[in-house]
Amino acid sequence: MGRGKPQADRPGELFNREIRFDTPEPLKGVRVLEVCSVVLGPATCDYLAEFGAEVIKFEGRKGDQMRYVTPYAYFWKGMSPGLEIENHNKYWVGMHVGNPKAKAIFLELVKKADVVVDNLTPGRMAEWGLDYRTLREVNPKIVQLHVSGYGSWGPWTGRTSYDAVAQSMGALASITGFEDRGPIKSGVWIADWVTGLMCANAILSALNYRERTGEGQFIDYLQVENVIRLLDWTWLYSFKTGEDRKRSGNRDLAICPSDLFGCLDGQVALAAFSEEEFRGLCEAMGQMDLFDKFRDPLHRLRDENARELLDRIADWAAGRRVEEVEALASEHGFAAARVLEAKDVYHSDHFRERGAIQEYEDPLYGKMVQQCYPPVLSETPGRLKWSCRPLGFDNRFVLRKMLGMPEEEVKALEEEGVVFRWNPDVPSQCPPPGWDGSSGVKTP
Amino acid sequence: MDESNIVGLSINREYAKWAHRETDPAKVSGKPEALDDMLVLDLSQANFAGLFASSLLAEMGAEVVRIEPRGGDPARKMTPYGMMIGDAGLAYIVEGRNKHHVTLDIAREEGRKLLLGLARKADVLIHTFKPGHLDSLGLGYGALREGNPGLIFTAIHTYGQFGADSGKGSNQPDYDIVDQARGVIMSVTGEPDLDPAVPDAYKKPLKHGNWMGWYAGGAWAMFGIQTAMLHRRKTGKGQLVDASPPEGLMAISNYVMQYFHMSGQQMPRAGNYDYAVFPYTYVKCRDGFTFISGFSDPNWAALCEIMGRPDLRERFPTIRERLTPENQPTIQHEIERFTVGYTSDEIQQMITAYSKRPDKKGTVVTGRLETSGDVLKREHWGVRKTFVRVNDPEYGEVLVQNSTFKSMSKTPGRVKWLCRPIGADNETVYGKHLGLDVRQLSELKANGIV
Repeated sequence: MGRGKPQADRPGELFNREIRFDTPEPLKGVRVLEVCSVVLGPATCDYLAEFGAEVIKFEGRKGDQMRYVTPYAYFWKGMSPGLEIENHNKYWVGMHVGNPKAKAIFLELVKKADVVVDNLTPGRMAEWGLDYRTLREVNPKIVQLHVSGYGSWGPWTGRTSYDAVAQSMGALASITGFEDRGPIKSGVWIADWVTGLMCANAILSALNYRERTGEGQFIDYLQVENVIRLLDWTWLYSFKTGEDRKRSGNRDLAICPSDLFGCLDGQVALAAFSEEEFRGLCEAMGQMDLFDKFRDPLHRLRDENARELLDRIADWAAGRRVEEVEALASEHGFAAARVLEAKDVYHSDHFRERGAIQEYEDPLYGKMVQQCYPPVLSETPGRLKWSCRPLGFDNRFVLRKMLGMPEEEVKALEEEGVVFRWNPDVPSQCPPPGWDGSSGVKTP
Repeated sequence: MDESNIVGLSINREYAKWAHRETDPAKVSGKPEALDDMLVLDLSQANFAGLFASSLLAEMGAEVVRIEPRGGDPARKMTPYGMMIGDAGLAYIVEGRNKHHVTLDIAREEGRKLLLGLARKADVLIHTFKPGHLDSLGLGYGALREGNPGLIFTAIHTYGQFGADSGKGSNQPDYDIVDQARGVIMSVTGEPDLDPAVPDAYKKPLKHGNWMGWYAGGAWAMFGIQTAMLHRRKTGKGQLVDASPPEGLMAISNYVMQYFHMSGQQMPRAGNYDYAVFPYTYVKCRDGFTFISGFSDPNWAALCEIMGRPDLRERFPTIRERLTPENQPTIQHEIERFTVGYTSDEIQQMITAYSKRPDKKGTVVTGRLETSGDVLKREHWGVRKTFVRVNDPEYGEVLVQNSTFKSMSKTPGRVKWLCRPIGADNETVYGKHLGLDVRQLSELKANGIV
């Protein structure tokens, strides 16, 4: 079991995936109302949901835009993989919160909620009468976070941002790419994902503060500014030198050696900065003259030295297999690893054992194997409970269970069109073909 | 402040003015701090995942004690081209914010005891050593939690603290490049595999230009620490936070894992293409590059109209045609034939003018591909205080990125001071938390412990 005194030499004893579902969830009891679409806002709430927050997601008639964004226009069991990735463990309500009748229902939920998140155009919630002042009136402890590209005020407020805009406006794109080639966008919507993560961090700080004082607050978060924050030494460098930071491929301009090298059978990432690690690398290479010449890490970082050294390592690596370099790194105490692909991780015992990849049975879609958010927590680990769901799938659960609304009232709201479910003509809003009509339904 | 600098292009001017009053950067210093009841020990070495995590906690008010080895943390020397300002490189100055800098040799018995003493009082400990190193010094989680069951012990390492790969990986140090490599995203980032115009030499994985492995890893560690902290505030229980930076990237690698699960296929590297939304790409223009999008049918129609190319709309009428790796290079090159004739500003103006037309077919979005120098000049970032510029007594005229938590209405994040020299706060910290006086401290100094 390993729940007693931990064994110093077996830290894995502290973590036991067999009992994952018996451990407490750290955010249990935190109710989040999600008025979001696409990736950034939904991801913010997803991070919280996998650690136990109860997230209620509201969609308009068309549904979240990600119901229609999917690679090669590919749908699986009618579902869009693009929607799946940032929506787990959530309750799905079809209700446009801008509708005046819906607004009243939403405010009833705010009374029983802890956090409200939106990634709409800044000011849209206020246009609907759902500004922080109104929310605070019904629930003084509420935390409201709004996230957008440029924030709620300032010369550029109101400008549209997408992930790729944030990557370019924040200068991440201009420093990513090979030295003699053009800028390259991340292979994923990185500016959405990492901004969502920092939004979740802002919310958690606000909740920690609320736990101490009972006070809620409003949070304005800027996506482009978040990209700027993550660019390490870029700004101080440009400020001091008056020059733009340049692209340098896989070479790290501040750590040497740190680069990607071609081997006989693939690519290996390698780094060795401290004198001790660098000695290990030179020993592994059998080239101690390099150690004598480039012992000092700062000396190594000078451009001409770095180029000379990296060329020497490249020549050495070219005659070796990736596995050989990895083994030498483990033996000599420097860092080297292959570039992992989706299939490597999917089949990896390591990541499954750690709960970073989890397998679960979704009541609608069957067996799923996918990433669960880190880090691994020994007492309160994250977990995947269910996947994304059809539009309006949990209307009744939310309205009846959480608000205690009688069935007739829910029916009336449906007839009025205030609350709605999937459009049968739009497959990616619907349950999978052959759904039995009851699997996955949470009864009020 | 000039009102137009506050309301910008807002759809609701009153809202913008209210938001400005609530989150005015000029009022930050008088407001409370969210985490100022926390004591954090940061033992990171040569590792910006740990340093970023403790920066975030420090921005939120936590008292962070930066514990460096004799001679200073090697991270001080991780700096572009070897540029140093005094005893710190550029990257370290950025992440030294609000931290108290002490030195301690934890491998010696006296140093070990001092750490045990500090750990008894701390809420959080962060380290980035090879797994097992602290245990070998008698400073592992097991030992520390005996003296402090509420401790949130945070270990950051590429391979994590357990798991099938951690055996062979645990003698390797944690580096950003390796975190990115094991984080899957790198495998799908880089020049497009399926574009015949790209030379083969460039068809290989590419890292993000910044330390994305470390920064995402640090942000995830902060996330774990804060959830654990909430749990502790309710139950009194601490725990071990095992933060592996590659898992932080892997977890946000779009749909690569899902697509593999569902179809058995892997996604190729797409470069500036995107096989789920297109056009949604960077294109060449007269003065560099700019972003351009128009991926839904109406938006694509709008883009074709702006370019005066109805033929493209006919050739690629639905997303099924626009999302194939074969067609995307063609579409890209056709768009560039248009955009290379204009500057990014001209394209922005054209698109803004089109967006005001009553008969517009859809929405096109653009945004200049900014260099770092461009960003530093923009008024918006000046008004929002995205950067902090100070004349530091130790490090001179410096500019660093501000806390992005600064727009919280009650407890804004902030930068109170920048980096500190090695061991600059020994006296204050050891005096305050362990009651050491000047005489005891100079003894420890003489013995090389601090």
